[in-house]
Amino acid sequence: MRKIKSLFPEEFIDRYARFIPDFDSFLEAMVAPLPTVFRVNTLKTTPEKVLELLADFQPQPLAYYPLGFVARNGQGLGKTISHFLGLIYIQDAASMIPALVLDPKPRERVLDIAAAPGSKTTQMAAMMKNTGLIVANDISLDRVRGLIGNIDRMGCLNVAVCRTNGLTLAQKVTDFFDRVLVDAPCSSEGTMRKTREALRRWTVKAIQRFSTVQRGLIRAGYQALKPGGIMVYSTCTVAPEENEAVVTALLKRYPDAEIVPFELPGFLTRPALREWNGELFPEEVQRCRRILPQDNDTEAFFVALIRKPINGTD
Amino acid sequence: MEQIDFLRLRFGLPANWLEGLELLKEQETIFVGTSDVMRFDNLKPLRRGMRLCRIFPHSVKPTTFAMQILGKKAMKNRIEVNDEQAKCLINGSSIEIDAAVENGFVLIVWQGLVLGVGLYKKPLLKSHIPKVRPVE
Repeated sequence: MRKIKSLFPEEFIDRYARFIPDFDSFLEAMVAPLPTVFRVNTLKTTPEKVLELLADFQPQPLAYYPLGFVARNGQGLGKTISHFLGLIYIQDAASMIPALVLDPKPRERVLDIAAAPGSKTTQMAAMMKNTGLIVANDISLDRVRGLIGNIDRMGCLNVAVCRTNGLTLAQKVTDFFDRVLVDAPCSSEGTMRKTREALRRWTVKAIQRFSTVQRGLIRAGYQALKPGGIMVYSTCTVAPEENEAVVTALLKRYPDAEIVPFELPGFLTRPALREWNGELFPEEVQRCRRILPQDNDTEAFFVALIRKPINGTD
Repeated sequence: MEQIDFLRLRFGLPANWLEGLELLKEQETIFVGTSDVMRFDNLKPLRRGMRLCRIFPHSVKPTTFAMQILGKKAMKNRIEVNDEQAKCLINGSSIEIDAAVENGFVLIVWQGLVLGVGLYKKPLLKSHIPKVRPVE
């Protein structure tokens, strides 16, 4: 364990040992290789056809998502004809959860405010059966190119790609969307299993910087939501400043925003924190869920489900 | 649009192959998407829906990605390929194949799925599939 701990900055260990349950298991999971997981694209094929085409990769179904599979032998999956054809999207299992919780329906209007590279946009396009409207927005031109590439590969006909500052976008689409996904840019602590890059860049200062942007994005997403609409706020990080504190900031600005409890049968999640560094979060914030890597062999995630009341304020 | 009729006849697609979708012509490119997407203008989208085809002076070239999703019911000018031929074509190479199709743009089909678009001039099938990443 000492060897594993030495891979992380001391400050990281000090911060998270304070509230992450089974902390040793958490650290062990954070350095273990991530399994190769993929999602079947129902716009183009069926799970049965994919299982036939990718039998060599020995796909095993995920208990909580019939379109998700773990490849026992995932090497080379991204270089298969099936991948080129957009029959599958390689995506960590935890990253499939925000779209599942948002649960967009056919013919709805949906905003994905920070969409690149498009894993959740394309997942939602399939859930909506290629109908309605998804506005997939991202500020970075480079990332938008990758987003368009994935939208094309997955065969999405219901996506408009925009490159607008997410913080100001709501001015032009106030009360417009049935559902909004704010999968916010974050310090990506939860992705350390996939790439050590997040660990190399890790600082508390960066967490605070992201937190400021996230507070703006969640507010913009909420403003863009129709009264009665549903929003998911998610990050792939464990820092409370980027999770519970951001949801709390939204509740301070919009006290009638409702945090909705949710469950994912077969997928273990933990309640959000009640306090951090002396800040007590509102009780309802605990309805948000934390996804820890040791619980389902995934990346770490945070997911909040938020409803704007029918007579909500902007 | 005459270009759409051309594609339907060329590939033997059913009359309703674009049912529920709208088209948008921008210069020499036709885009296809849901009506909600094609009419959404609030945020000045960079891109609405998907590129369906490009218009040239004497021909219309469908795009690989659009035909993968919209060309499933094509009955004509399809060339079936095996795994090795599919990999060659995705990786940008041409293959020689004797097929009972007209010269011109064809749909390359693998395992019953439209893989993309090729240009056939008997017996050479030249790949027009965009190079995304190599397939092994």
